[in-house]
Amino acid sequence: MLQKTWVKLFIWFMAIFFFFLAAGVVISALKPGPSENEAMNFMMGMMSAMDSSMMGVAMNIENDNALQAVIALSTSIALPIMLVSIVAGVGIRLWQRRDRNV
Amino acid sequence: MNLRFDFIMHWLWAIVWALLALSGFGMVGAKHGWLVNFDYATADFVHRLSAAVFVVLTFISIAYEVFRNIKKDTKNLAWFVIGRSGYQLFTFITTLILIITGALIWICSEFNMSAVGFALLIHEYISYIALASVIWHIYKKCHALLSLKKPQAKPQKG
Repeated sequence: MLQKTWVKLFIWFMAIFFFFLAAGVVISALKPGPSENEAMNFMMGMMSAMDSSMMGVAMNIENDNALQAVIALSTSIALPIMLVSIVAGVGIRLWQRRDRNV
Repeated sequence: MNLRFDFIMHWLWAIVWALLALSGFGMVGAKHGWLVNFDYATADFVHRLSAAVFVVLTFISIAYEVFRNIKKDTKNLAWFVIGRSGYQLFTFITTLILIITGALIWICSEFNMSAVGFALLIHEYISYIALASVIWHIYKKCHALLSLKKPQAKPQKG
């Protein structure tokens, strides 16, 4: 796969993307500020996100009984599922170890 | 063309992670807003949509590893994102932390602000560590960026 030109180009693209992103994060963290303009843009951006994004939808959960019921159900079964998964994982490991020792 | 499952999962994972990282780091604060041009509505939408795909990819990866364990398949999957040791194990742990804290931020934002605050803190700092680790991962795997063409032998004189 690595000999294909398009794969090579894609890997180069992804590598460059991550280097630029890391550089952007470092610049953002170390630069002075935030300036007044940035703070205003931040506030306005957050306000627009309240209206027209999933953040806004999330704000309306309290009016949605069906969604509330789904969240309550998933919250209540999350812990048992995790416990069952851990027990199953340990069980598989022990089962494999026993077979290896035979 | 012979496309391997672990190869596809690796790069799907990389694309989704790239989207999550760009949209997520852009929403960290006012100083980071220029990364997404202060368009938080789009960043928020992209982050949540990518997060859902990310959870599905994680679930598929874990299910595949469990299936391999049951089948006693010890074949080394060089491109696979999660595994038992090294960077694969690191990815597995950071992914689980990011998913759990992300879910806390998403779900608890309505009724438990202290949980959201704690989860946001962990989510942000684990993301910094994960981004640094991606750079390290690219550095360690830089042979993938090199040309595989063998240098042509120079014609001998005389």
